[in-house]
Amino acid sequence: MIALPVSRNARTAIPWVTTAARLVLGGVLIVSGGLKVTKPWDSVVAVKAYRLLPEDIATAVGYVLPMLEIVVGVLLVVGLLTRVAGAVATLLMFAFVFGIAWAWANGLRIDCGCFGGGGELAAGQEPTYLLDIVRDFGLVLLGGWVVRFPPGRYALDAALGLTGSAAREADARHDEHEEETVR
Amino acid sequence: MSKGERQKTARERIKEQQAADRAREKRKRIVTYTTAGVVAVAAIGAGWLWSFSQSKSEEAAAPLAPITVDANGSVVMAKQGVTKPVIDIYEDFQCPACKQLEEVSGQTFKNLAAEGKAKVVFHPITIFSQEPTRGNSVRAGAAARCVADGKQWMAFHDLLFANQPSEAAEGFKVDDMVSWGKEAGVTSPDFESCVKGQKHANAQISFSDKTGKEAKIEGTPTVKLDGIVMDSQVIFTPQELREQVTKAAK
Repeated sequence: MIALPVSRNARTAIPWVTTAARLVLGGVLIVSGGLKVTKPWDSVVAVKAYRLLPEDIATAVGYVLPMLEIVVGVLLVVGLLTRVAGAVATLLMFAFVFGIAWAWANGLRIDCGCFGGGGELAAGQEPTYLLDIVRDFGLVLLGGWVVRFPPGRYALDAALGLTGSAAREADARHDEHEEETVR
Repeated sequence: MSKGERQKTARERIKEQQAADRAREKRKRIVTYTTAGVVAVAAIGAGWLWSFSQSKSEEAAAPLAPITVDANGSVVMAKQGVTKPVIDIYEDFQCPACKQLEEVSGQTFKNLAAEGKAKVVFHPITIFSQEPTRGNSVRAGAAARCVADGKQWMAFHDLLFANQPSEAAEGFKVDDMVSWGKEAGVTSPDFESCVKGQKHANAQISFSDKTGKEAKIEGTPTVKLDGIVMDSQVIFTPQELREQVTKAAK
């Protein structure tokens, strides 16, 4: 990776921003996966509602999505395989942004709410596409940050010495210590 | 061993040692990384398999139980003499979750009726209030009312769900439904004119309003077992559905 000419302040801040991004993105994934994991059919219906994928594939995606979200979310929160998890999370969020934009452009009124919601959005109630897209796009950016600056503070990756950057950081700390002792 | 090698300087030996350490560290890192990756993928795979197994549909085991189409539009599927427990299914031909329910648990309902373990009553209602979904639903519901024979009705019902249109576009067009009717083996000579003329559209609407109020239906699909709404978790898990109904039959 290219070493950016960053100030010392930025160098201490960046890992903390990564940690915050990991927690937010991971938290969102765990919650949304957790809400779906006990009702996989809901997830299947939701994926099918977009009518982007053939039925069989939509079914498979609908069934895998909840657990995928949870696992990726947990990895992000604990900071294990941070870069890979961040990349998967980013792709997921990007796919959601694409799906929602697609639904919007095609005039789908998704959020079928077939359970207790009367089967559709109530009269006068509009889908919150813009809000959903802005939120998910924000999460895409967080994911991008995590991929660019892994693994952040309090990451298992660093504790296990898993990342190249973690190793480099250890070196850097080592150097700093040396400098300090010299001084 | 040559003389030169034996005379390695201490510095070189330390360097070699460091290189070996680094290689060992790297191996350890790869093992840890791979292990974590495999565990993560296995967890996802396990979750996937679990979801699939939960939603595994039953196979058709026996011929369908006798089906009778009631004059009011509800349809009863039960073996002769079986009066309880009663499973009431409230569904809308246009509702995606209802299609999903039919895919996952439709066969279980049929099997339970065929085994004489339950009396199954279908209530095809229109739950939607906005276009194009309302129009689609009413057209389909009205068309189903044109089929008087129970067996044919069930085949037509299945085809309607299989061909469910998008919620965003006009679908369930009368011409399509006429050909699905033929596919389902509908023999009644006035089926085509009945569907095309939407003879029962008003009946479908009033039946839906009445049923919705009387049975207090807030959404579709709703499934009741002896009048009590079943948990959606149960109705979308064929095995649990069967267990609960069997228990109620005792």
